Amino acid sequence: MGQERLADIVERFTHGFAAAPPTASPETIKQWQEELDRNFRRLRNLHAMVASPAEPKTGPTPREEIYKKNKSRLYRYGSSRRYKTPLLFVPNLGISRPYIFDLLPNGSFIEHMTREGFDFYLLDWGVFGPEDNDLTVDECVTKILPRMAKKALETSGASELTVLGYCMGAPVSACFVATHPEIPVKNYINMAGPIDFSKVGLFGLWLAKEHFNVDRFVDTFGAVPADMVKAGFKLIKPTMDLSTNLNLWWNLWNDKYVEGFQALNKWANEYVAFPGEFFRQWVRDFYQDNKLYRGELVMGGRPVRLSNIACPVFVVGAKEDYIAPPECVRALVDAVGSAEKEYVELPGGHISLIAGRGASLHCWPKVSGWLAPRS
Amino acid sequence: MVDTSANQLFDLWKKQLEEGTQAWARLVSQQVPVAPTPDPWAFWRPVLDQGLQTWAKLFAQMPATPDLLTQWKQFLDQWIEAWSKVLGQTMGTAEFARVMGQTLDSFLVAQAPMKKAMDQQVEQALQALNLPSRSQVTAVAKQIVELEERIERLEDGISAILRRLSDKEPK
Repeated sequence: MGQERLADIVERFTHGFAAAPPTASPETIKQWQEELDRNFRRLRNLHAMVASPAEPKTGPTPREEIYKKNKSRLYRYGSSRRYKTPLLFVPNLGISRPYIFDLLPNGSFIEHMTREGFDFYLLDWGVFGPEDNDLTVDECVTKILPRMAKKALETSGASELTVLGYCMGAPVSACFVATHPEIPVKNYINMAGPIDFSKVGLFGLWLAKEHFNVDRFVDTFGAVPADMVKAGFKLIKPTMDLSTNLNLWWNLWNDKYVEGFQALNKWANEYVAFPGEFFRQWVRDFYQDNKLYRGELVMGGRPVRLSNIACPVFVVGAKEDYIAPPECVRALVDAVGSAEKEYVELPGGHISLIAGRGASLHCWPKVSGWLAPRS
Repeated sequence: MVDTSANQLFDLWKKQLEEGTQAWARLVSQQVPVAPTPDPWAFWRPVLDQGLQTWAKLFAQMPATPDLLTQWKQFLDQWIEAWSKVLGQTMGTAEFARVMGQTLDSFLVAQAPMKKAMDQQVEQALQALNLPSRSQVTAVAKQIVELEERIERLEDGISAILRRLSDKEPK
């Protein structure tokens, strides 16, 4: 038949092993004992994860709700408030929940910034329902953001504020800063936020006009269901789950790793839907027509000109970011009218730029270091 | 020793990938099966065989330490990374985007009338049961959102008037 049985292969393998028996030193035996011990701990942790999964506690930094508008909330975090200029953090709307920025004690961006003494405000856009399907990007820029900024100024007692946009929150907040000169913005920071959508990578290609009919999509579903959002993000990196699970098995013996994994895994699987009209405008004006970068966008009747942003600007791109590649983030530096502007490209991906151990080494000190003398 | 073994593993992986690709190409290009009985191991045998041979060689040459597991993990990481790159390149083509777009479009074309019919039926059923439908609940929620808007505008107006009054007050 010409077919070799698996048993024959195994036989050759074991024969080869037996032909030259290795001599195990005490050091090797000790190493194997340690490995065996790790495997026991792996099994124990696996059993605990499967048999009695504990809900990971996230968001440890104390905060108070300052204001709420429909589903959106403005939170102010406890800090020594060493710096008088409040910092308004604007994350992405939809996709995921913002507790990734305050995930675990001794390892979150918000905790770092509050420890440094910044008066930190988080805009949590919330989880929108079908009643919010008419919400547009325009309304976020002209109604929600100005109100949140005013509330931050009122409660802090400051005359100016810093705006920090992350991911989708960056282009949205850039639109706000560019169209609202009456709100005194002292500094603007863009972290991994796409600006030039002609360089936005895979999503840009998939959502291009010739491939994606956004009208049909929104008209059919009304909103973008969380499962669809999940499918899109899983597709952009199909091997992610495999490597995540492999790394989990490898580190399963480590209780600290398991704790972090559970918190991160909870966040990574909690996708949030997009309001239909928001998604329509987001895809059409930003991804398909690149109106923000081209200066053709109009919000609340006001033209959005990035060159109107004149305050000091700090832009942070991530080297391995496949959602907002560095070149589309960097574009803000050339587009703004600020005299003082700086771009840094740091190691990490879209999420690991701002969350995780790498971020605590590379990103957080850079951001707080840039902002401190300007606050 | 560790570096040599890692290089060996990497070379082995490259060889496996090449041979695997060739085997797949052969399988795909075959119009009529030549072998009378299908051999499920045909594709995997060279991969398995070479892997086992190399591992046997490694085991024979040096004492088996947990470093071997670390190397195996590195090998898997590289393998996943390589596949990730290949998939990324494939998904980054206009052809992939076109096919995906067409598939989604066909799904939506088929889904839209079905969803509409289903929504209508559910609406009718709820009406018959004297229960509020999703669209009615949504309409109420929208009204609440609009009311909140109005209250906010009133608050803004009152604050502006109060500010103006306090500015006019003699100091």
